[in-house]
Amino acid sequence: MTNNRAKYLFLMPGVIWILAFTLFPLLYSFGLSLTNYRLGRNPKYIGFENYAEILGIGDEKVDKKAVSTASFSAFLFLGSTASTLFFGTFVAWVFNHSLPFLRQMRAIVTMPLFAAPIAVGWLGVVIFNEQSGPINNVLEGLGLGRVNWFIEPMPARLAVMFTDVWQWTPFVFIIILASMQAIPDDLYESARLDTKSNWQLFRSITFPMIAPALGTVMLLRMVESLKIIDIPYSLTRGGPGSVTQTYVYYAYETGLVGSFQLGEAAALAYLLVIVAIVISSIYFYRVRERFE
Amino acid sequence: MQDNSAALQAPVVKNIPQRRSYGDYVIITLALVCTFIAFSPFGYAILTSLKSEWKSGDIIPFLQFEPNLLNWQQEFGSGGAETMKALRNSSLISLGATLVATTLGTLAGYGLARFKYGIGNRNLVSWFLSQRFLPPVATLIPFVLMFRDLKLLDTLAGMVIVNATFTLPFAVLIMRDYFADLPPEMREAALVDGAGEFTTFLRIALPLARPALVASTLICFAFSWNEFLFASVLANRDWKPYPMLVAGSDTVRGIDFGFVTTRMLIAVTVPVILSLMVQRFIVRGLTFGAVKG
Repeated sequence: MTNNRAKYLFLMPGVIWILAFTLFPLLYSFGLSLTNYRLGRNPKYIGFENYAEILGIGDEKVDKKAVSTASFSAFLFLGSTASTLFFGTFVAWVFNHSLPFLRQMRAIVTMPLFAAPIAVGWLGVVIFNEQSGPINNVLEGLGLGRVNWFIEPMPARLAVMFTDVWQWTPFVFIIILASMQAIPDDLYESARLDTKSNWQLFRSITFPMIAPALGTVMLLRMVESLKIIDIPYSLTRGGPGSVTQTYVYYAYETGLVGSFQLGEAAALAYLLVIVAIVISSIYFYRVRERFE
Repeated sequence: MQDNSAALQAPVVKNIPQRRSYGDYVIITLALVCTFIAFSPFGYAILTSLKSEWKSGDIIPFLQFEPNLLNWQQEFGSGGAETMKALRNSSLISLGATLVATTLGTLAGYGLARFKYGIGNRNLVSWFLSQRFLPPVATLIPFVLMFRDLKLLDTLAGMVIVNATFTLPFAVLIMRDYFADLPPEMREAALVDGAGEFTTFLRIALPLARPALVASTLICFAFSWNEFLFASVLANRDWKPYPMLVAGSDTVRGIDFGFVTTRMLIAVTVPVILSLMVQRFIVRGLTFGAVKG
């Protein structure tokens, strides 16, 4: 067997798999988004009407629910990404010391990341419970009063965000810790001659050295935050009303629950695909050298 | 897994003075706080699952409440048939998906690490990773119609396809990185001795890649085990995996906290234990190779 044929045989099964189960569905989805397909009815080609309806182009009114769910997704996109980056970096800084027991604790700190998000949502139901949950008990103990986590809009949004941040902080933590550990020790030793302040050392050495990894993690977190659905699904069911419904959740509900408006749901999903493509292009541009 | 444990024993960072100082105690305290925040929700869930009667605020076992295993017995005893079936489904789906993803991922990973392709290796890597960047709903909608036409709704094969597609990027990346770090001379020597490309791959490269194979297998298994969204639409009767039971915990008897936390803990145990076994590979696997762990 020639070298040339062999090298394609290694690659082909995987390439064909992605072609069949990622690229084909994606094109199929675009085709669907140009129809008025509902399950059980015959689809009709309607051009870009679904998109016009969502975005309020021409005679159509903008889809208010698409806007409100997109704004909650944007809230998570900003709030959850920023919080996980901040806490993850802080925890990495704490664990980047050679002290006893830190390695054992490190393994425990990463546990939330691997729990099923649907189960993490239920964990939130128990923890945030208004009458008996430990969070309200602690808040009351501190004299801050109880919070109606599932009744008032802003606390409900924050409950979803806190739960997501709790699950994803370890993700930032492990990656940033790995990049902190790659910083050569002599950089610190020479800097220590000038300053004793930990904050100065962090600002002048650690931060510039971890900045590329932070950028990468930020992009990955942004993409993931746009996909959030499991946590609000089990934590709040999107409520109260639909204030904690994410955009993906709305597309899911439109296409796959109740009236099964697959055409419209595909259009909703496709608008998000465009955002995902923009973010992933930046990601691939940044990491391209690694893969040659 | 030998070099895995070796990596875990490597010193963390040595830029800290040898004597225990006031600062060291501050750091250890902060680390304890972080560990507490990460673990306490699980701990609270464990305590709750040991209570048969819900009383708010009681958290100290033996002192405030008498711990018992009633919830656990119920989940595996009287309500056990449903539980066992869902756990069996989850196991078979995750095993099948892991097998497919790791096989395809190992082949493609080896190809990407050892050969240069005309279209550019980095374009091929993007091709494999693109799936992780797409919002799942975008592919879920056509999957419903495709699976309906192919008679794959609510089947093992259908669920294996779905989860293998999700986890393939992890497998490709983990394997590619590992093969790229093996010295290329080994392959060249084998080729000179007259072995074909596939013999070289099977006899030389694959045995060396055993730690990466283990990591890829465990990560693919854990992620398949956790998948809920596609299952909720594509497998809601015979092949319902365990996360679907977790999601539906409230419809059975309102919200019974002991019951909910028991199910939640069952769902969480498997992937969390697996994750503890592959700490070393997690960084690369999760960033798709962008950060070397």
